[in-house]
Amino acid sequence: MATDTPMRDLSGSKKAHRGDRIFNRTITGAAFTSLLVLAGITIFLGAQTIPVLQDQGLSFLTTTVWDTTGVPPEYGIAGMLYGSLLLAVIALVIAVPVSLFLAVFMVFMAPAKLSKILTNLIDLMAAIPSVIIGLWAFYVLVPPAEEWQQLLNQYLGWIPLFANDSGNFSGTPFMAGLVLAIMMIPIVTSITAEVLKRTPPELINAAESLGCSMWTMLRYVALPFGRGGIVGGIMLGLGRALGETIAVFFVLKIVFDINFFNILESGGGSVATLIVSKFGETNGEFEVQVLLAAGFFLFLGTLFVNALANLIVRRTERLRS
Amino acid sequence: MTTVMERPESLNGPAIEQVPQRPWSKRPAKFWIATAIAVVVPIAVVGLIYSADVTPPAILLTVIYFPLQLLAAGLAALVTKGKHGILDSCIIVLAIGATALSAIVLGSMLFTIIARGIEAFRPSFIFQNSVYISPSTPLDYGGIGHAIIGTFLIVGIAAIISVPLGIATAVYVTEVRGRAVPYVRFFVQAMSGVPSVVAGLFVLTVFILTGVLRQSALAGAIAYAILMLPTVARTAEEVLRLVPEELRTGALALGSTRARVVSKVVIPAAKTGIITAVLLGVARVVGETAPLLLTALKNDQTVVNPISDPISALPTFIFDNVAQPYPDAVTRAWGAALALMILVAILFTVTRYLGGRKRSA
Repeated sequence: MATDTPMRDLSGSKKAHRGDRIFNRTITGAAFTSLLVLAGITIFLGAQTIPVLQDQGLSFLTTTVWDTTGVPPEYGIAGMLYGSLLLAVIALVIAVPVSLFLAVFMVFMAPAKLSKILTNLIDLMAAIPSVIIGLWAFYVLVPPAEEWQQLLNQYLGWIPLFANDSGNFSGTPFMAGLVLAIMMIPIVTSITAEVLKRTPPELINAAESLGCSMWTMLRYVALPFGRGGIVGGIMLGLGRALGETIAVFFVLKIVFDINFFNILESGGGSVATLIVSKFGETNGEFEVQVLLAAGFFLFLGTLFVNALANLIVRRTERLRS
Repeated sequence: MTTVMERPESLNGPAIEQVPQRPWSKRPAKFWIATAIAVVVPIAVVGLIYSADVTPPAILLTVIYFPLQLLAAGLAALVTKGKHGILDSCIIVLAIGATALSAIVLGSMLFTIIARGIEAFRPSFIFQNSVYISPSTPLDYGGIGHAIIGTFLIVGIAAIISVPLGIATAVYVTEVRGRAVPYVRFFVQAMSGVPSVVAGLFVLTVFILTGVLRQSALAGAIAYAILMLPTVARTAEEVLRLVPEELRTGALALGSTRARVVSKVVIPAAKTGIITAVLLGVARVVGETAPLLLTALKNDQTVVNPISDPISALPTFIFDNVAQPYPDAVTRAWGAALALMILVAILFTVTRYLGGRKRSA
């Protein structure tokens, strides 16, 4: 581990070698590429958002109309914004318990060899491109999942959440959430497992020697210790779910009306998927601008979620040290 | 770090390497008998139902087997360990269940990719392009050669753009150690959360709508580079941190300039790690589809000029063929998916190998 010792002393001063000054400046300049890109995205997409907001007003964010041929044309992405959140929540509800139990199995139960194999498999799962997951979901997951949805509706349909009046179970938010959950599981699992592995062994041993059961140990030692990291990992997964485009494209029917909570009803929204699915059929500059504006709000949303995630992770890090 | 995904910073601490041995945890025979019964009975019941009825296996497993297994495990624990064991046994069942579920999902993905992809694989599929090929053309004609070239071209240019910048960012954080280090790290972190479709939109606004570039390999590569940069920068930072401080101070004491310390000592010392960082960056972007749909479009011809024409890559080729109503087109999509997956698997294995070697050395 590098420490913050003497390297910097000469770098700013006039005594520094001339070549070093050039070197330092070049590197410093290059290091700010990320800031440049982030600022660039904010400025350029923001600039495209202004005319859209001027033309459409706040109704761009609050209405669900998508009338490209009207005079004047009207656009509203409320359904998409809400849909993105709904999908992310469904994905979280499915992925988080699975990931936590999977991580607990890997860290506290599995023999070292199996644990290593599982770590590799989880990382491999994270490396599968989203377009392949979409392809797999479209042909392998969707047919049985539609049956599961029917059964869910048949037995639990009296709960409004699982109601379905149309009898059409394809392209539902539940399905898209399920696919997003599959993409989130490896992310959340691997971070949770890393965090749990860092529980101080003294604490675990102490708990065990006091006669704690596995549950007590998890509840009062491991989970409190890793809470910040786990929450941060979940938030990172959430950020990924909000921005996911292609896998959702194949399994969700984009509908502009807000589908509030009928997760088994065909049709939902997702900002990222909207952009890709409408991009091919845009006519006129303004429609492209509308999609760019939608992308701008998606960018702001994911930036916020990620910043929050990093804040949480960093704060726990500081508390611990 | 050798994984393909990004991890929070707080994870760089000492890990538990060895699970403490517990010789006192020998189990009595009663425990083994109860466990055996708790494992065998639910399987037997579900097996009976399965042979008697036509319930689909997935439903049978989730609705009948899983609760039954929880109940059986709970009862077994109650008998052997008393009340306190019940929660424990449930956790064990849930943990194994979650693992099995994930394994089934991953297994199903890999199996279908290989089984369906192999149908399309033949020399012509790898080497030919798709000119004059319609979705209904038989599989013996046309292939993904143009998409493979496209992927290599786009990823290659993206690497040329993002690798120097990523390494420079890492060098700034670990070697120059300027005042802005926390900010630079924050921005890199924030950049790693940019959704891929937004990267595509950014390139679209800045380069394509303004008329600077056409939709081409270069435009796609810039979008890829935006997604690659944070991965390269963060992994490179981690490996540069592992270079012993003595090497730097030693080189400085011998009179090296700082630029030479970095270029002749630090980076060569971390060579393997830097290669890993580059490969991880490539693995991060190689399957990205959304940015290419906006910035590179598609092309059935083989394109090698990075700025002249739209270009297809493996992900966009898959995307175009997935939802076609023609079975041969779908098989082509699976074939391309297999090709892409082989690329990902190679990158994955090489990074694992390099990472493992570094740790043992």
